[in-house]
Amino acid sequence: MDISSGATVKSHCVGTTAIVYARDYLNKLTGEKIERECRRQLDSGCRALVIDFAETELVNSIGISILLGIIDIAEKSGAQVVFSDVNNQTIALFDMLGLTRHVALARNEQEALSTLSGFNSTPTLN
Amino acid sequence: MSAADFNGRVLARVPHHDFVGRADELDRIVKHANAQNGRGLLLLMTPSAGCSELLRQAYDQLFKQQSDVIPLYYAFTRNETTAVSAAIEFLQTILQQYLAFRRKEPVLCHAALTLQDIVELAPSSDLEWIEPLVQMYERIRFSNDNKALVRFCLSAPQRIPARSGKAFVMFDGAQLADDLNGSVVLGAELLRVFGRSGQAFVLAGLRRQILDSARADDSYFEFLDLLRLEQLTAEEAHSLVDHVALRHKVPLSREVRDLLVQQFAGSPFFITNFLQAAREKKIGLNTYLDCERLYVDELLGGHSHHHFTNLLEEMAPQLGKRLRLIRVMWEAVENDEKSASVESWRKRLHAEPAELENILHQLHIQEFVNWAGATVDATTGSQTWKDYLRATYRLGIKGDPRALVVAETIADSLKRAPHTMARHYQQLDRIDLRSVVGAFDCQRVPAVLFDYLGWTKTYKGLEESELQSRLATEINLLKLPQAVHVASCQAFDTAIRNHCEEDRCVVGHTFNEGSYTDEQQRVWLVAEVEAKLEVDIEVAKSWFERLESLARRNDFSRYHVWLISNEGFDEAACEYVRGREGFCSSKRQLELLLQQIGATSALQPVATEEPDEFLMVVPMGEENELIAASAVEQIARRLTFPPQAINQIKTAIVEACINASEHSHSPDRKIYQRFRVESDKLVVTISSRGIVPTNVGSNNAHLSKPESSDAAAEERRGWGLKLIRSLMDEVEFQRVDEGTSLRMTKYLRTS
Repeated sequence: MDISSGATVKSHCVGTTAIVYARDYLNKLTGEKIERECRRQLDSGCRALVIDFAETELVNSIGISILLGIIDIAEKSGAQVVFSDVNNQTIALFDMLGLTRHVALARNEQEALSTLSGFNSTPTLN
Repeated sequence: MSAADFNGRVLARVPHHDFVGRADELDRIVKHANAQNGRGLLLLMTPSAGCSELLRQAYDQLFKQQSDVIPLYYAFTRNETTAVSAAIEFLQTILQQYLAFRRKEPVLCHAALTLQDIVELAPSSDLEWIEPLVQMYERIRFSNDNKALVRFCLSAPQRIPARSGKAFVMFDGAQLADDLNGSVVLGAELLRVFGRSGQAFVLAGLRRQILDSARADDSYFEFLDLLRLEQLTAEEAHSLVDHVALRHKVPLSREVRDLLVQQFAGSPFFITNFLQAAREKKIGLNTYLDCERLYVDELLGGHSHHHFTNLLEEMAPQLGKRLRLIRVMWEAVENDEKSASVESWRKRLHAEPAELENILHQLHIQEFVNWAGATVDATTGSQTWKDYLRATYRLGIKGDPRALVVAETIADSLKRAPHTMARHYQQLDRIDLRSVVGAFDCQRVPAVLFDYLGWTKTYKGLEESELQSRLATEINLLKLPQAVHVASCQAFDTAIRNHCEEDRCVVGHTFNEGSYTDEQQRVWLVAEVEAKLEVDIEVAKSWFERLESLARRNDFSRYHVWLISNEGFDEAACEYVRGREGFCSSKRQLELLLQQIGATSALQPVATEEPDEFLMVVPMGEENELIAASAVEQIARRLTFPPQAINQIKTAIVEACINASEHSHSPDRKIYQRFRVESDKLVVTISSRGIVPTNVGSNNAHLSKPESSDAAAEERRGWGLKLIRSLMDEVEFQRVDEGTSLRMTKYLRTS
């Protein structure tokens, strides 16, 4: 397991999946840090991203907009994205702004990793 | 009586502590009086910039010093109709002031004294020169030699014996000296008498007139220093408004104060007269409506009206001619005539060449027009002048009913007010591109500051300390050129004003390596593109082509295009700009560039009587919205809101604070919050000063669904408001004169 804290965003890798931890407040500043870390992980070969919101109490619309950008970046790299441990209030906000249409949610990190392994084992049709 | 005993005022009209905004100029005049070189100082005043109080304050300061400098002040007035009467009045005034100074009795400056009284009051040591001077005056006065009389009166200060001190004469309103009738041109005589007298003096008046008089005989110029008196800066003018309103006991909101400063362009003359009118009419200036009603009253019959009407009467004393002049000038202003021919003016005015020349000269001196030989630019006057002209034209020539003119002028002024303030706030918020290019000066800076794509990949999202340390060790540097001239794009192509404001697009003529050769010459075409998100390729392309077209029209063979936008450019736009060998940067990059090249240079909460109300003011930025969110959490808990509702209120407040920070161009960078607790609800009001965001225009209308792909980006901008509406039970924009005030209500529901 590779553990790094980037600038101030904590992350680690499980195989080719990067788990990135969001902080207590997701805004432009912290959102850009997460984006930077996700880009870094994708550039270094990760094929899936789990963004963990266990510590996140408050999110704002700019932060959500950046998350949407991260989903776009991951999509272009052919990587899956799962959000884990998102509290109910935040899920309601994600729903309201249509984010949950583009990303899978998991109760915790473990479930996120299982979800991703499910994606990976799905046979591809040619 | 000692100098310390002069606590009151001598000639000054306001106490020294109330005299604001001209500290440097006052200091310069006092120093000039005390200097040993005995030179003249031409005080070149922008019309309505106000210099009388400045000279009176200088007079008082010198009077109180009681040094060997004897202050003498004389103001030309419209009451004096001939050079002779003005010269006689001058003699009487300065002798009284001399006596007041010598006897240390300020009251003598204002006493009604005859020349005989002056002789009798003169100290014995001065009798030996005052008595013969008065006798000689009596002789010359009846000699029928006006020129000799004028010259004798003007030279009186030079007759003061050196042992009594050095006379320091300050002439105010010198432009009026040339308008006096008679055989003697007083302005020219003044310079003749004082120009080489070896005595320090000040000649203050309208800059164009004073310079014309001085240039009429260049031989005086080497004995003259210049002091330019412009309108006050916004900060100085704010202080002036506060002081005058307090002195006149005129209630005044900060919004109206700021509007007055912008509307009168920092003119002490108009600002002071306006507040005086408010005092006379007992009007409080709390809202834009209060302000504009009084403004229109003033234009149509108050101080401003009399000021402009008097000037027009002097220019064209005959009524018919004056009305034609008003018509010609208003039509020129309305049609934005920048270069009408003098001949067309002559025909429209039915004026003889000499008469026309006199009118144009007067208009030019008052800066109502720019008259350059064969053409007249009538667009240069102040907004107040243009408003006066329009109202006078409608009433006096078009014959519109007075009530209609009043109503429409108030309405127009009210509609203009938010735009005036918006323009001001945008200017405050903006980085001055001219200064940026002007500071290039062959410095080496990280090239990534000019490449948004590279910046995104390597710097965006970095901690500030790491960012700074990486920039400091960048090896890929760009050597900037040396700028020799930087001006607005509009100076090269007026059509560009259809696309951006004047200071957001500049042309810099530069030389690489500071080497002045054709090969090294480059023109930098710099534009700040208005966008809230990353600029896309279409917008980048249209700006690039616009600037390239400007380059072609002006025969710029070697040039660089540099586009700047708040949030940078998307990847395709960056690739396009790179492909055209241009540069693109975000505002953050520009700020860092400024650091690198060293080019870095109130809505008050209304008092409330509500007992269950909390007020809080937080500075914008620095995640201060969290402080507001945390405060509301405590308040909401007292009302026993459930956790989910508390989180919703917190999120709504965070969004409202972000909206206020991002869209308002706030002058004080503060967010004003009011939390009112009622039995069944919490009402939160978030206010900020500045510009009303465009999405607030329709007030409480619901956001529409996006209909095109472009609208998706637009939708993201509206997310904050959309969230607020979803999270709170009632959301309403309240009407305020400037900025926004968003009231949000959350009801306490008992399940």
